[in-house]
Amino acid sequence: MEYVNPLTGFRVDGRRPNEMRQLKGEVGVVARADGSALFEMGNTRVIAAVYGPREVQNKGQQVNSKDALVRCEYRMADFSTGDRRRKPKGDRRSTEISLVIRQTMEASILTHLMPRSQIDIFVQVLQADGGTRAACINAATLALADAGIPMRDIVTSCSAGYLCSTPLLDLNYIEDSAGGPDVTVGFLTKMDKVTLLQMDAKLPMDTFETVMDLAIEGCKAIANYIREVLLENTRRLECQRG
Amino acid sequence: MLQSKTFVKKTRAGRVQKVVREHYLRDDISCGAASCSTCGAVEHPLSADAAAILVVDTNVVLHQIDLLENPAIDDVVLLSVVLDEVKNKNLAVFNRIKALCSNKARRFFVFTNEHHRDTYVKEMVGESPNDRNDRAIRVATRWYQSHLGENVKVLLITNDRDNKRKAIEEGINAETVESYVRSLAQPGLLDLVVVSTSGDVTMEDVEDLRPSKKKVIYSEHKPMSEITAGLRCGIYHQGKLRVNRYNPFEAYVGSESIGDEIVIHGRSNMNRAFDGDIVAVELLPQDQWHESKSFIADDDEDDEEDVHLAPNSADDAPRKANPTQSTAASSADSVSSRPVGRVVGIIKRNWNSYCGSLEPMPMPAGSGGVAHALFVSKDRRIPKIRIQTRQLGNLLDKRIIVAVDSWDVLSRYPSGHYVVLIENDINTRPFSTQVLACLPPLPWTLSPEDLANPNRQDLRHVRVFSVDPPGCRDIDDALHCTPLPNGNFEVGVHIADVTNFVHPGTPLDEEASQRGTSVYLVGQRIDMLPKPLTEDVCSLRADVERLAFSVIWEMTPHADIISTRYTKSVIKSCAAMSYVEAQARMDDSRLVDPLTVDLRNLNSLAKIMRHRRCERGALTLASAEVKFEIDSETHDPLDIGIYQIREANQMIEEFMLAANISVAEKILKHFPLCSLLRRHPSPTKEMLEPLLRTASSVGLNLDVSSSKALAESLDNAKNDDPYFNKLIRILATRCMTQAVYFCSGDLTFSEYYHYGLAASLYTHFTSPIRRYADVIVHRLLAAALEIAKLPPLFQDGPQLTGVADNLNYRHRNAQMASRASVELHTLIYFRTRPMDTEARIVKIKANGFIVFVPKFGIEGPIYLTPKGDKGGDWVVDEVHQRVTKPGTNVSYAVLQTVMIHMEVVEPQPHRPKLQLTLI
Amino acid sequence: MDHDGGEVVTPGELLGNSSLLAGLGAYADGRCVRASITGHRRLVPPPPGSTDQRSTVEVVGHKAHGAVPQPGSVVIARVTKVMARMASADIMCVDSKAVKEKFTGMIRQQDVRATEIDKVDMFQSYRPGDIVRALVLSLGDARAYYLSTAQNELGVVSAQSITGGTLVPISWTEMQCELTGQIEQRKVAKVE
Repeated sequence: MEYVNPLTGFRVDGRRPNEMRQLKGEVGVVARADGSALFEMGNTRVIAAVYGPREVQNKGQQVNSKDALVRCEYRMADFSTGDRRRKPKGDRRSTEISLVIRQTMEASILTHLMPRSQIDIFVQVLQADGGTRAACINAATLALADAGIPMRDIVTSCSAGYLCSTPLLDLNYIEDSAGGPDVTVGFLTKMDKVTLLQMDAKLPMDTFETVMDLAIEGCKAIANYIREVLLENTRRLECQRG
Repeated sequence: MLQSKTFVKKTRAGRVQKVVREHYLRDDISCGAASCSTCGAVEHPLSADAAAILVVDTNVVLHQIDLLENPAIDDVVLLSVVLDEVKNKNLAVFNRIKALCSNKARRFFVFTNEHHRDTYVKEMVGESPNDRNDRAIRVATRWYQSHLGENVKVLLITNDRDNKRKAIEEGINAETVESYVRSLAQPGLLDLVVVSTSGDVTMEDVEDLRPSKKKVIYSEHKPMSEITAGLRCGIYHQGKLRVNRYNPFEAYVGSESIGDEIVIHGRSNMNRAFDGDIVAVELLPQDQWHESKSFIADDDEDDEEDVHLAPNSADDAPRKANPTQSTAASSADSVSSRPVGRVVGIIKRNWNSYCGSLEPMPMPAGSGGVAHALFVSKDRRIPKIRIQTRQLGNLLDKRIIVAVDSWDVLSRYPSGHYVVLIENDINTRPFSTQVLACLPPLPWTLSPEDLANPNRQDLRHVRVFSVDPPGCRDIDDALHCTPLPNGNFEVGVHIADVTNFVHPGTPLDEEASQRGTSVYLVGQRIDMLPKPLTEDVCSLRADVERLAFSVIWEMTPHADIISTRYTKSVIKSCAAMSYVEAQARMDDSRLVDPLTVDLRNLNSLAKIMRHRRCERGALTLASAEVKFEIDSETHDPLDIGIYQIREANQMIEEFMLAANISVAEKILKHFPLCSLLRRHPSPTKEMLEPLLRTASSVGLNLDVSSSKALAESLDNAKNDDPYFNKLIRILATRCMTQAVYFCSGDLTFSEYYHYGLAASLYTHFTSPIRRYADVIVHRLLAAALEIAKLPPLFQDGPQLTGVADNLNYRHRNAQMASRASVELHTLIYFRTRPMDTEARIVKIKANGFIVFVPKFGIEGPIYLTPKGDKGGDWVVDEVHQRVTKPGTNVSYAVLQTVMIHMEVVEPQPHRPKLQLTLI
Repeated sequence: MDHDGGEVVTPGELLGNSSLLAGLGAYADGRCVRASITGHRRLVPPPPGSTDQRSTVEVVGHKAHGAVPQPGSVVIARVTKVMARMASADIMCVDSKAVKEKFTGMIRQQDVRATEIDKVDMFQSYRPGDIVRALVLSLGDARAYYLSTAQNELGVVSAQSITGGTLVPISWTEMQCELTGQIEQRKVAKVE
């Protein structure tokens, strides 16, 4: 299958190889949560809610009392994929993604400022079309910022792949299921640091670097977009306050 | 820039599933016209001063690809909607149009109309996908016209009457292919235009030419929906149609759903299916199943039929429609009769281009006009094809290539048009200048840099030699064997270092990968690489310094490999021997020079290795390879005989196998996902069925449970007849599948098995001069040794699979070409020398049998009955594979020896054939 | 700079170099000061007389944090459970600010009053449902803050009698029911 048209250079959905899908971010979508956000990358749609910092509920989970405990729960909604199926809670995939999101967010949150408290992040995939992992991290970041939890930087994530000898940014479901390499990068833009790097395939070093650089470029673009959303939201809140 | 458009795209069969995909519409797609100032520039734009910019619709591409390939047609815009449709309908045409679009010499531009903001059309309620696509084409054409302004004429080329009318109504310039080509005033082009036969504008003209009384000859194909429904509920069976090589009126469809082959008799039951088509078959009621006798049909049989462009008279409904009548009486006792069916629909066409000649016919009056002619393919399985031509005089008595266009129910024969191509798809053209530019400067000599390369070991001091067939000039392997102080041997296999000269991505490499293999014809060779490389720079000739890629083992005298080493090297061969020469040296006990000693050491090692391999269950298969002695001036064959295999051949073969296996292990270890390996699938029970049947008829029991068991029972298959064993082996070889290249990531480890060699891993490493697979393996090995970088090709699984598939395809074609070449030379040989000889029966048919002539490796049919008679006098005994004439004691059994007479007859012009008759 | 006037910054954004001190909503990262929350950037001049003459930069978010008990802060808590040696209470307000979530506090026997701490009877001091004013002693153990009422102005500020009537303080150890006049024992806060 041709994922990049060799004659025109377009991908199956009409994007160029280095183009991202359309982004959409919205904060404050869950009223009860301390912070929440809806994040869309094309047809991938993720909702995130943050509770905390609050007191540690299950004291057994607290590892050290100097840092805040970050917990994360990832779930796919039953209706998120084409066929409606009950998604088991706590299967290996969601456990893994929960862990990935938690570790990425922990790296960004200033946990030492909130000792003996816990921060809960709930992310749910409403619609899956590839790149859910990245979208979840972006949604979680937006929700954490909305909750006003102190963070080192805005951590954003983006995936990139390598199909038809071309590095592709932000794979959608068709491209994702092509079986090629899929590099997911989590990135702190202002600090220029990579906090997450995942790949489930083999790629030669030099190709890998170009693919990773592409993913980082994607992260930067997402970070810019998220900042815009946050600034816009702050302005809106001010208007409401008068 | 990005506009999202989500829409429901399809529901998959089985479970209904809503698939939502994004579809971005954009405003930055260039129109590709050089005259356009608003769009961004493209690499090779449509010319600014074109008379008209052509927009073609799907059917024009599908049917008129030969026309489009003509350089007279240029400045064509291909819409992505058209390309997608072409791709779905005919991949071969799609590949050709793709090549056209990427050809820099041609001005074909692909416009992504589906993603352009102004040309995207949404499906309307009640609109069929075809109508929607037609509308999309019109919208895009109109956009082009308004985008480029009035100075440029944009012309929609369509043969669809409806589409053309609508286009003109919408103010678009539209023309049919014919009228456009006419307007170009190049009569030669008109021949390339395919005359459409159904529902199109040109239909009216065609109809005038024919008598009005048309008769339906074939039953209508069932609609696709009905076929899929029928397949699901088991009324129809799907399978690939195979036409009997000896009787074009009989075909088999291997059906998985009933686990047996369905026999189809007669053209009307075959219902316009070609050999290789995927068809849907309906079983006939059981009382119409008749004895599964397979006839050998003489190919003259359909000659009496009315051949001249009159597919419409009532009396020539195929008379082979039901050959059962004559044999129906005997069908009562046929218990194991096979299911009989008829084709109700064709799921996938396998139309190709076919090579052959026109049936002789009188020249019609006025040579400039259009003439209809019948084309007879060289391949008997292909029916005659009606073609229209304006240059009949040119084509008569010539070997031509014809492509099939359509076959409708009204016409006895499919209609096609003539093209020029090369049979077996082998590229015989000389190498282009770009390719030749990649060669190293000649004459090539070893440079100091090569020696200074730390990855290259200097082995010039080692006594290396090569053994090849006599007259071999492309020597790609050489050996050495040095006794070590500890009693072991150092054995090296040195393979020409082709990859040192053929670099990935160069035109030379592309060309070689396209050709895939050298083709060996009788007395001729079509090279994969240019001659300077094959015969000089890479060839490991004697007494010159050459670059090599070496596999070096340390072996005990018992041929156990202690260590394996791989290195690039420099060697200097001390002798290039022929097999005969090497054999003579080994056999001559007086010779004790070092070279001969090396040879003897190698030979004793090889014998042990061979023995061990056979222990593991490697099959010693036999083929009837024929060798010609060619007259150097007339190129006519002087003598013909079976290729002799000597010990020296086996010795070389053994070490090549060992090298291949060692390399396969190494590359697989380093690149488990992207190694190019070779496997030989185990034959299925059905495939071995004919062999078992033949064997059991002569009282031989073959154990086919494993390759080892088969090898042993083949070894035991001996009787007083000296040729018997070989014959059985030849038959066994025929039952096997072909070994194929594959990409290691595509299969699981257990599937890597090479059945014939009983090796769990195998690849091709030893002949890079003549096989591209070896070139790939060389690169892999170099990358595994970290000498070179892995070319990007290997990083792309699907692409490597594609390369492997192409290699398999080329390999098979090369074999077929060699076989065809042998056949041709056999004909030339026997044309002047009719003779009587001994032959063996290999297959029993209802009205004759197939014989094999061991002396010449020829196979052919022998008829027991005069043609036309369907062999009613003879009774076939399936169990004993015997055909007898009732009332007499004349009978013929399989493997029996018969005396035959061979002579060349030419019943039709340009179709000489070897006729075998029983004496 | 004025509260609302500063530019809006997002986490990670650079606020200045080491010539500034990181205040609330900001953190020092090596030589730079960056924002850690979204909000308005604000510069606070150094307090007069401090040795460090650097200004503090802080980011004021639009969302005020819920109050968190700190050692030394006075909290209002509701007693949930009274045991022989301690009473546990839910903290409701910290320094007159309501908390957003549940914090539990614990008043141990020795922290109930300043004198005669060994003679304290927990059941004579608190009843479940009493609203007490207490001082946060420390972060306590993993489960609860340690609270103390060992001052005159700390202790029960509002309580109900067994019959449901409001209790009115009559001394620092007794309260009387409005309806029945029955007297119940409490550690009563002296409210001004």
